[in-house]
Amino acid sequence: MFNQLGGGSSNPNKDVEVASPPEDTVSAMEFSPPSVPQTFLVAGSWDCRVRCWEVEASGKTVPKAAQGMDGPILDVAWHDDGSKVFMASTDKSVKCWDLAANQTIQVAAHDAPINTCHWIKAPNYTCLMTASWDKTLKFWDTRSSVPIMTMNLNERCYCADVDYPMAVVGTADRGICLYTLEGKPAEFKRVESPLKYQHRCIAIFRDKKTKQPTGFALGSVEGRVAIQYVNPTNPKDNFTFKCHRSAGTTGGYQDIYAVNDIAFHPTHGTLATVGSDGSFSFWDKDARTKLKSSELLDQPLTKCAFNHNGQIFAYAVGYDWSKGHEHYNPNKKNFIFLRPCYDDLKPRST
Amino acid sequence: MGRKKKKASKPWCWYCNREFDDEKILIQHQKAKHFKCHICHKKLYTGPGLSIHCMQVHKEAIDKVPNSLPNRSNIEVEIYGMEGIPPEDVKEHEKQKTGGGKGSDSEDDEPAAKKKATPALGKVKPLGPGPSSVTQGILPTPMGHVPPGMYHPHMQMNMMPHFMQAPRMMMPGMRPLFPAVSVPVSTPSKPTFPAYSNATISAPPTTSSASGSDPKENGEVKPPAANSCPLVTATGAGSKIIHPPEDVSLEEIRARNIKYRPKPKPELQMTQTAPTMITPSTSQAEVAAHMSAAVAAARQQQAAAMRRPMMQPVVLPQPVRVGVPVSVPPVMGMLPVMPQFNLMRPLQPGMLLPGGVMPVGVFPGVVMPRYR
Repeated sequence: MFNQLGGGSSNPNKDVEVASPPEDTVSAMEFSPPSVPQTFLVAGSWDCRVRCWEVEASGKTVPKAAQGMDGPILDVAWHDDGSKVFMASTDKSVKCWDLAANQTIQVAAHDAPINTCHWIKAPNYTCLMTASWDKTLKFWDTRSSVPIMTMNLNERCYCADVDYPMAVVGTADRGICLYTLEGKPAEFKRVESPLKYQHRCIAIFRDKKTKQPTGFALGSVEGRVAIQYVNPTNPKDNFTFKCHRSAGTTGGYQDIYAVNDIAFHPTHGTLATVGSDGSFSFWDKDARTKLKSSELLDQPLTKCAFNHNGQIFAYAVGYDWSKGHEHYNPNKKNFIFLRPCYDDLKPRST
Repeated sequence: MGRKKKKASKPWCWYCNREFDDEKILIQHQKAKHFKCHICHKKLYTGPGLSIHCMQVHKEAIDKVPNSLPNRSNIEVEIYGMEGIPPEDVKEHEKQKTGGGKGSDSEDDEPAAKKKATPALGKVKPLGPGPSSVTQGILPTPMGHVPPGMYHPHMQMNMMPHFMQAPRMMMPGMRPLFPAVSVPVSTPSKPTFPAYSNATISAPPTTSSASGSDPKENGEVKPPAANSCPLVTATGAGSKIIHPPEDVSLEEIRARNIKYRPKPKPELQMTQTAPTMITPSTSQAEVAAHMSAAVAAARQQQAAAMRRPMMQPVVLPQPVRVGVPVSVPPVMGMLPVMPQFNLMRPLQPGMLLPGGVMPVGVFPGVVMPRYR
C-alpha cells in the first residue's frame, strides 16, 4: 500500500520506498539508537520539518509524527536513550523534541544557522554539541540557555561527527579540527586537509580490533574521499579514492560530483558514500576496494544512514543544489529508500 | 613519487601537459589518447591524420583533439611526440615546470608541508588559502627563480597578520572557560604535526590515487586558483566539477534563496508570543491557548502559502499535557502531526488515525490516552 517495490527511473535499485516522504530535500537522517527496541527513522528536510517513521521488520514504514522549526532543518540527532530528537535549523536554534509528549523545547542558539548537532554521552557527562556557520562550536547542558563551553572554529562548520571519545569538525577553507571528549570536550589537534576541495561530509571510523574511534573519512565536492587515521602506524595508511564521477567518454568530459554523505557500517566497518551523481557506493577501506555501486537515480542522493545493528541502509534522494537554483523543481518528489544491507557490506577478505 | 629532477628535457605531451620518461612512451600515449578514432578505434599518427581519417572513412568531421586541454585542442597542429611543439608553448611549459612544477610536486616533501600547514591554519581571507601551488599564484614573478626554501619569509609575512587576528576572534561576552582551547592553535609556519603531515602528503597523490581503475582520466584535476574569489574549478582536461562555481557550501547557497529565508511572520500576534527562548513562567493554560492559536494561525498560513501536505493536518488534542515548560513552535499546528497513541487500548476496528494509517507501534513510555 505504501511501499512501491518495483523499478522505474525513480527507484532503479528496487528498494523500499518510505511512506509520506518530506516535501523538500532531506538534509539529515538518523535511525534510532539501540536503546529503543523498535526501529525509528527521523529525517529533517528543507521543508522546515522533521518527520519520524517506524520501520517494521517487514519493511513497512509508518509515519509517526512530525515537528517543525522556523527554518529548514540542517541536522538531527537522537538522544542516547531514544526518547528525544534534537533538530538544528537555519533559524539559528536547536530544539529538543520529546517524542513521547510530542513537544519541542529550544535547547541551543547560535548567531548563524546551525549546521550540525550531536549528542555526546560520556561516562561522566552528557551534552549536546552544536556547530554553526557563526564559526563556533558549542556544548550545551540542555537545561540551560547558556552553553557550558564554546570553542572557536577557524571557519564555518561544514560537517562534523562524534564517536565518543572523539569528535571531528570539518570547516570551510578545508579546515579539520579534532577534539577529545574524555573528561570534558577539548580541542585535540588541527589537521591539514588531505583533500584539495571543499569539505562536504565527514564520518568517524573505529579500529577493527579495539573498536575505538581511530580515524575519519572525509568527502569533498570533487568526487573524492580521504581516509585519515589520527595516528597512522604507517604514513601510507592514509589514502584518498575517487568516487561519484561519471565514466569519461572518449573526447568528452568526465563529470565530477560532490560526495554528499558518508556512513560507516556499525559492525563491518565498511562504508557507504552517496553522491550528487545519484548513486550510492559501498567500500571496504581496508581492502581498498569498492564493494558495490548502485544504479543511478535521476536525482542526487543527499544523505544516508545505517540502523544501529547494520541491517538497514537508508538513503535520501532529492535535489542538492549542485547545479544552482535553476535546476530546482519544487514539484519533483523527494524520496527516502531503505534496503537490507548486511551482506552487501561484508568486508572483502584481502 | 620519485625524485624531482630539474630535467627540462623530459618529454611531455602538448595536448594534455602530461610528462613521460621517454619519448617513445609519449608517442604511444598520444596515439592512444589523442590520435585514436572514436568510431573505429584506429590509432593514427598525428592530429591532422586523425581528422583526415574520420572524414574519408567515416564521413565525419571532428573539430578538436580528443582528451586535450581546451587551449590545446586544435586538430590542425601537427605534433608527433616532442616534434612540432610551438616554441612559445615550450617556454610556457618550462616556466610552469620550474614555477608550478616545483611547487605542486613538492607537496610530497616535508619542506612544503610548512607551506601547506600555514595556510590551512586560521586562514579566513580569500587570499590564497590553498596548498602551496595555489599561493604561488599570488607571488608571481620571484617564484620561478626562488627555490622553495626561500618561500618561508614571504609566507610568514603574509600569514602573520592573520594569526594576530585569531586570538581576537572570540565571541563577544564570552568568558573562556578553558582558555587553552578558546584560542586557535597558532604555531605559524612550523609543520605543526610533522609526522602527521608527512603521512598525509606521502599518501598517493591525487593524480595516481588508489583507484587506478579509472582509465579514462585525462588531465590532472588541479586545485582551484584562489587568487581573488575562491572558486570550485577543475582545470584538468575533460573534467568538470558539478558544483556552483562559488566555493561556498551548497547549503549556504540554498539558504540564501528566497524560499528558505526567514519569512516575515503573519499579523496574528499569538504566534509571535511563543518566542524561541524558554519561558519558565508559561502556565499550562497559556500554553494551551498558544497552541490553539497556533493551530488556527497555522491553518491560515497553510491555506495561503503552503502546498498541500501529504498527510492531513490534525488538530492537537486539548488540553495539552505539559510536564515541563515548553515553547510552542508556531508552525506546529499545520504539520501532519500524529496524535499520541494509547498503550492501553489495543487496536479495534475503525480506530484509524487520520490519514488512514494504522497505528502499529508506540513510543516507549507513552501514556497519552486521547485520540483526535
